[in-house]
Amino acid sequence: MLPLEIEHVTKRYGHEVVVDDLSFTVAPGRVTGFLGPNGAGKSTTMKVLLDLASADSGRATLGGTRYRDLTDPARTVGVVLEPNAFHPGRSGRNHLRILADGSGIPAARIGALLEMVELSHAADRHVGGYSLGMRQRLGIAAALLGDPPVLVLDEPGNGLDPQGIRWLRDLLRARAASGGTIFVSSHLLAEVEHLADEVVVISQGRLVATGALAALQQAGTSVRTTQPARLTELLQHAGATVRTGPDGELVIRGLGTADIGDRACAAGIALHELTPRAGSLEELFLDWTSKDHTRPGSDKTAEVVEPERQAVPQ
Amino acid sequence: MTWLRLVRAEIRKLTTTRLPLGFLAVLTLIAGVDAAVVVFGTDMDGSKTFISTAADQQSLMAFAFNAMLGTGLFGAIAVAREYGHHTVVPTFLTSPRRMRAGLAQLAAVLLGGALLGLVGQALIIAGVALALPSTEYGFLVAAGGVAQILAASTLAGAVGAVLGAGLGAVIRNLGGAVTAVVLALFMIPPLVVQLSSDAASWIPPALAAVVSGVSTDLSTWAALTALLAWAVVPAAAGLLLVERRDVV
Repeated sequence: MLPLEIEHVTKRYGHEVVVDDLSFTVAPGRVTGFLGPNGAGKSTTMKVLLDLASADSGRATLGGTRYRDLTDPARTVGVVLEPNAFHPGRSGRNHLRILADGSGIPAARIGALLEMVELSHAADRHVGGYSLGMRQRLGIAAALLGDPPVLVLDEPGNGLDPQGIRWLRDLLRARAASGGTIFVSSHLLAEVEHLADEVVVISQGRLVATGALAALQQAGTSVRTTQPARLTELLQHAGATVRTGPDGELVIRGLGTADIGDRACAAGIALHELTPRAGSLEELFLDWTSKDHTRPGSDKTAEVVEPERQAVPQ
Repeated sequence: MTWLRLVRAEIRKLTTTRLPLGFLAVLTLIAGVDAAVVVFGTDMDGSKTFISTAADQQSLMAFAFNAMLGTGLFGAIAVAREYGHHTVVPTFLTSPRRMRAGLAQLAAVLLGGALLGLVGQALIIAGVALALPSTEYGFLVAAGGVAQILAASTLAGAVGAVLGAGLGAVIRNLGGAVTAVVLALFMIPPLVVQLSSDAASWIPPALAAVVSGVSTDLSTWAALTALLAWAVVPAAAGLLLVERRDVV
């Protein structure tokens, strides 16, 4: 049971801050989706976790141990990171043999894995002739080579056909159910909605939301008032995300329902509606990753709190 | 044990693409050209005095510098393509202690370079030996001389491969690494000699000639040490940077 812990990680490339004081934990026994817009810092965070990139500050560990200090990395963590990390002139089987050689994994496992990812028919062909989906399957086979309890996967569903996505989802859920730690980045929000138990959302290198997906989806409030502009200013000042819904209502995230009511009352703003509101992951994602929400200096992070299940600022 | 596993993986990397076959094809071509020179080549006066003595024949067959240049390209391609194809990512995930992974890669490339140097020299000896009966001269080089040029080319092949691998790790770009090898071994040394004639004995062609037994400008030990330095310096720079730099 190995949790992944990212603690105050900051990573700069030149003057650009790619990951900015990022902290979160990925729990074992759950599938955790890692979301963010392009360039949000997801891949860099994964590279820091895997010691492929060094953090300028903070630390990233697996069960308290840095990746480079793991005694048997291939049997601890399976990774899909680069979609094309193959020599095009080498066969899929030889790619796996090389990894097995380096990790001391018996070559006998390669055939079973190729069978599992349905690549046996193409195993001796050059990877350069593989489709994106086939390369993705080969990458997944490589990640599973050491039967590791932790999987760190960057966009593993890219290029997979619907059957492949279904197969991957079932595989990841089964491994999580058996106590594995599954950390998956994806831009396919609908797929994450089906797959993930938890989500970690970052934007511009900063954490903007984390928690159980089902609870986060409930963590919004719909408000109607005769003074929307004033209420918006008031709640944004308190750290909430506020946008106007399709019927003119205000959709508020980052503050609990009671808190919103209390603040409106204190400011003398009449409310005509104050109801919890569920949202799709896409809707939530757009809220969380809007520029206003992640502006420098903003310290707003949505996190699920019980019992009210509202997104509140940290 | 762990390190030997990594070396094994690196050797498999080298042997599961067409890279060594390409270099073998080039070596065979060079051997054929050498044989053709023996059959058809003449001196200015139309004679074949360039193969008339054992020393001449040994000089003609000595392949060490060409082995060093060729395996320099082999080493540079073997390492730089890892970055180009991103296969360095699974390499460092398998072995997050990068120094260990880098040393394993150098060991595999060294073995590959040594083998290419040896095979190249053997092919040239065979080609010349097969071509000589078409002339008035027999094969005059003694067994000791043959052994010396075989050993020299094997060593030079290993040195060149490690040098190329070091430059490949420093530069990480295939075109850049290949260019750097050509510059380091072929273009820059003559320019340095122009600036300082004292350097003439320490450039790769001169050192290769000494270890091949066709020059006595330096002692063999001095030449061997200098040749090793040509490999160790770029290899150390490569290892240092591999350890420090992010994989992006």
